[in-house]
Amino acid sequence: MSRRSPSAGLLALAAALLFQGCGSARRDAPFTGPQTPPNAEILLGARVFASSCNGCHPGGTQGIGPALNNKPLPTWLMRFQVRHGLGAMPAFGSDDISDAQLDALLDYLVWLRRLDTTREVRMD
Amino acid sequence: MAPGRSVATSWFIAAVVAALMLPAGGCLHRILPSEGGGEEARFTPPRRTDPQAVAVPSGYRIEVVATGLTFPSGIAFDEQSRPYVVEAGYAYGEVVLVPGILRINADGSTTEIARGDNPPWNGIEYRDGAFFVAGGELSPGRILRIGMDGRITVIVDGLPSTGDHHPNGPVFGPDGKLYWGEGTATNSGVVGIDNFDFGWLKRYPQFHDVPCRDVTLAGRNYTTSNPLTEAPDDRATTGAFVPFGTPTSAGQVVRGQLPCNGAILRVSPTGGAPELVAWGLRNPFGLAWSPDGALYVTENQYDDRGSRPVFGAGDLLWRIQPGSWYGWPDYFGSRPLTREDWFRPPGGPSPGFVLQSHPNTPPPPVVQFGVHAAATGIDFSRSAAFGYPGEAFVAEFGDMAPAVGKTLNPVGFKVVRVDVANGTIQDFAVNRGGTNGPASLLEHGGLERPVAVRFSPDGQALYVVDFGVMTMEEKRPVPHPGTGVVWRITRTGAGR
Repeated sequence: MSRRSPSAGLLALAAALLFQGCGSARRDAPFTGPQTPPNAEILLGARVFASSCNGCHPGGTQGIGPALNNKPLPTWLMRFQVRHGLGAMPAFGSDDISDAQLDALLDYLVWLRRLDTTREVRMD
Repeated sequence: MAPGRSVATSWFIAAVVAALMLPAGGCLHRILPSEGGGEEARFTPPRRTDPQAVAVPSGYRIEVVATGLTFPSGIAFDEQSRPYVVEAGYAYGEVVLVPGILRINADGSTTEIARGDNPPWNGIEYRDGAFFVAGGELSPGRILRIGMDGRITVIVDGLPSTGDHHPNGPVFGPDGKLYWGEGTATNSGVVGIDNFDFGWLKRYPQFHDVPCRDVTLAGRNYTTSNPLTEAPDDRATTGAFVPFGTPTSAGQVVRGQLPCNGAILRVSPTGGAPELVAWGLRNPFGLAWSPDGALYVTENQYDDRGSRPVFGAGDLLWRIQPGSWYGWPDYFGSRPLTREDWFRPPGGPSPGFVLQSHPNTPPPPVVQFGVHAAATGIDFSRSAAFGYPGEAFVAEFGDMAPAVGKTLNPVGFKVVRVDVANGTIQDFAVNRGGTNGPASLLEHGGLERPVAVRFSPDGQALYVVDFGVMTMEEKRPVPHPGTGVVWRITRTGAGR
């Protein structure tokens, strides 16, 4: 799990705002090809996502919450957001998502957004 | 963390960043209209179909089997593997037509097998020369046995289905009994203005949810305007599990009875009294038995509407343990609705508990689908030739925003695959385009509203029943007859 400074976070903010709304957030198999989590940690993260996050961010895309897949959010910020919530998003305490599960979830989210989406066959 | 930077400063920066990244934040969510859901779709007939507009995984192919159907809700196969669809005869938006069963011929044409009344007919099962359908909203619900000659025999009558939700998806269990889902009358236990808007409160002003077992109320009541009287300033106070305009008190016991709402019920195919399998399920829509012999059910979860709105509750997939209570109307999955930060709509009231005590703590669900995705039909792959044996395929009808709540982007309108062994979800058949949504929004010939999925008897083809176009106009659903489609997905190569 990488750790970055708040300064890096500000840079990430600028980048995130720059890219907000740009680039597809779609990362599912029809668009990226076969998806097999490369290790047990990311598989655990996928499971945590499906039980706790998928409702508002289906597949990491925009639903009643914003898309997660197409924004270069640093992991420390995502960790903060999960633990403390903000606005319509509730806080997930350690009874909801343990520290180990949260580590796995963040690894999964990073893996998900790095998947190659160029395989999508676009319509003419 | 950078040396010299205080923890407070870091947290402040984090909060600013997060706030900027969250357009769905609390106050914004309250102020902004829902402009991102299925309500953006508009439709000009005729409906186009184009398999190239639907993305499926590498090595799979999707094609059109039949078009021009009106509100199809399920599919079944006879001994010769011929497909039959049931047309519901009703759609939200108060469009009432004639329900029936059609055989789909090899050339895509259809032949009428039966027609009936008391729609909607939701789902269809076939066994030993007869069809079994569940339905009813305008009159109490029924389970019907329908012969190939179109003759209808009522095997269960008097189901409490004249409210929001209906009897759904009959399937045979390994015990030879017929299982179905009986939906609830209301969103979260309290009859309100939303039910008047849906049309049924005016038809059945005394109708309300019936629990399967005795429940003790907490005495929470909700006061609204009274649309059943002419007086513009008339008010009505209503509690849970009682008719509109009836207050309740703490400690009040509501007697359970069968048949009831929010339950999985079963009956012998020759008829008899319904038996309780599980309860506390808001709208158990799709039922399927896994290859290892367990019953799985999709549940349409709470909406952000009515006297007791609930925010952020995605539809769930359950592995049913017979006899258990699954949380409605006081839990979402295994999380209690008393968790205000989770379930209180922005700017709205907290749902709290309407029951004083609960039969059991609900077990954790298998997965959570997108909020408002409307997870409906389900079936399991049993074929290595098709792939993913033992995994579930689920149709997502798609959101009905803003009537059910707000959303930033269309949710659902696709078929997903659930690996029930490890609790993960993947899209399986979904419209192409820069965003998710129905074909009428994306302006191509892809999926509109998948409502049922079922594998062919040999397991090598997945049939997808597409209900057709239903737009949302001025918060009301507008279904379009004659736009239903049946799609078929087969495996063509090794990739998966």
